[in-house]
Amino acid sequence: MKTTDALILKKSDALMFFASVASKMRLIAPKRFFGGDVMFDVIESPKDIVWEYGHDIYPPKRFLLPHYEDMFRYKTGKSVEVEGGIEAPMQAIVGIRSCDVTAIRFQERFFSNPIVDPYYKARLDNTVLFSLVCGKPPRKECFCMCCDAGPYLDAGFDVQLTDLGDRFLVEIGNDKGREACAPGAYMLGKAQPKDFAERKQIELQADSLFETQAYIAKAINYISNNDVPEEVWEEIAETCFRCGACTNLCPVCTCYTVDEIKLADGSYVRSRSWDSCQFAGFTREASGYNPRPTPGSRILRRFYHKASYPYIVRDGRHGCVGCGRCVFTCLADLGVPTVIKRLRRAMPKYFEPQEKAAEV
Amino acid sequence: MVLTAAKPRKMWGVTDQPSGNLYVPMIAVIEDIIDETPDTKTFRLAFEDKNYAKSFSFEPGQFVEVTVFGAGEAPIGFASSPLEKSFFELTVVARGKVTQAMHKLKKGGQVGIRGPLGNCWPLEEIKGNDILVVSGGCGLAPLRPAILQILANREEYGEFWLLYGARTPADLDFKYDLEKWKQREDMHLLQTVDIGCDEWDCDVGVVTVLLDKIKVNAKKTVALTCGPPIMIKFVTISLLRTGFSEDRIVTSLERYMKCGVGKCGHCCVNHVYLCTEGPVFTYQQMRSLPELKL
Repeated sequence: MKTTDALILKKSDALMFFASVASKMRLIAPKRFFGGDVMFDVIESPKDIVWEYGHDIYPPKRFLLPHYEDMFRYKTGKSVEVEGGIEAPMQAIVGIRSCDVTAIRFQERFFSNPIVDPYYKARLDNTVLFSLVCGKPPRKECFCMCCDAGPYLDAGFDVQLTDLGDRFLVEIGNDKGREACAPGAYMLGKAQPKDFAERKQIELQADSLFETQAYIAKAINYISNNDVPEEVWEEIAETCFRCGACTNLCPVCTCYTVDEIKLADGSYVRSRSWDSCQFAGFTREASGYNPRPTPGSRILRRFYHKASYPYIVRDGRHGCVGCGRCVFTCLADLGVPTVIKRLRRAMPKYFEPQEKAAEV
Repeated sequence: MVLTAAKPRKMWGVTDQPSGNLYVPMIAVIEDIIDETPDTKTFRLAFEDKNYAKSFSFEPGQFVEVTVFGAGEAPIGFASSPLEKSFFELTVVARGKVTQAMHKLKKGGQVGIRGPLGNCWPLEEIKGNDILVVSGGCGLAPLRPAILQILANREEYGEFWLLYGARTPADLDFKYDLEKWKQREDMHLLQTVDIGCDEWDCDVGVVTVLLDKIKVNAKKTVALTCGPPIMIKFVTISLLRTGFSEDRIVTSLERYMKCGVGKCGHCCVNHVYLCTEGPVFTYQQMRSLPELKL
């Protein structure tokens, strides 16, 4: 079943290798911006790739499900003409973290099951993921260990790179990865047992360095059984700013809204852009009726989608990859680990026998 | 046998999607506009592409995403008989941005249609049963295809009651149908309004008052309901009290909706996407969704 090829790429050859990859497709990689921030962007030359970086807070899902995208254009007039077409350039995302790869695989399944989303599919079909094993947690908020999404992958990647000091261990996961590496294949040597030993060492070391923990299984049990009373959710949501950052920056979240935009020449664009279930308007109907009227009901929605048994059955895994973006972006500290911690703290009293609860 | 909502034969994006991209609508032309109430119009539509029109079909309970070009897209349930092949009708209440823009359209205007979407009323499965249809306001529109199909195959079903409530006599939809149905001897039509007037000769009060007036055999009757959430709630409560089992109460739900194909995430109720797995549910199915708080 496993058809992974393991190869070795010397770091001195890395520039040449990625230049050869870039001959077929555009390269997207972490790049240092003016001011020092490292973010994924289309790079001109492999020289710009930054291998040591924290976490791009703006998830790389944006190259597959853009923050804003045109779906099709149309002209109105005597008769309506619709023009469609999907722009999907060949691209390689180099240096993407394991958690983001897992998230993209989650989205791939969501967007093709049971109905295929043509935009996402076209983009993903033309995208090769060169994921990078995290030798240590890139940020202290990371908790992919608790979410089965990192710091290294067993499957799901097209190509996986492990930094072994003076060389990369290159694992090729599928034909797409093999094809992308083909122009530079002459630079790749065969991996030796000592390379695997070193890789194993890095994995073990990485596993021991995680600080943040999220007890996802506990949350799944509470939420799937519908045990958490409304008041607990309302209490948790009290500090929520309704900014939607947790869901927009989540590499797994896929919800979008659709808008019509009028262009200067009188034609219209139907566009879609990221939306968030944390906004009150997400479910508000034209009549004014809102099935999710309170912040608590909306935060329950977010966690029901991330951690509940029916969704696990649907999506093949729970909807958190432990990238930690919601932790370091939320001003009110309502990231996944914190909310679960607060559930764990709030819930036991609801399970105590009545008399005992009365005594306290 | 436990009754559930039925799977449709045709579904946009699954069985057919002629333009190749399931987000690009097919163009339909407005053939006629019928004024129902001050804020409701019925649009009679036919596809511009005649070949597509021939292959197009839907089942009662399904809906379409209507694009009003320049304004946006909104989900609207079919309101015409599925047996009618040359056109289909959508009944639209002017409420939001898109529906208000749609009301400004004239005969001959164009709209975009993506559909049929969603599942359908289990009309095949309930053959042989008595049928009780309870609807309120514009909730009659998504039930009308089901009613027309049942009336067309009247001998396959038992007794047939239609209970219909609206705010005022002027707010009654499909008055021309109600007149015809009143004459029919093989069905019972009971109407009520919240606020009556001098000419009004039927009941006054919410639609649940009509439930007390009829004698149904809860063991061999299936109730199809559609209307405002508060109406559905009280109708369901009275039906359960009458002895209906949970799977014999079938309802069409609605939510704010964007894509119609289970991707945009707006219409989720717990893990169920109303657009692809709904909008028709039995009460029993709805009970498994804690978010509905039933």
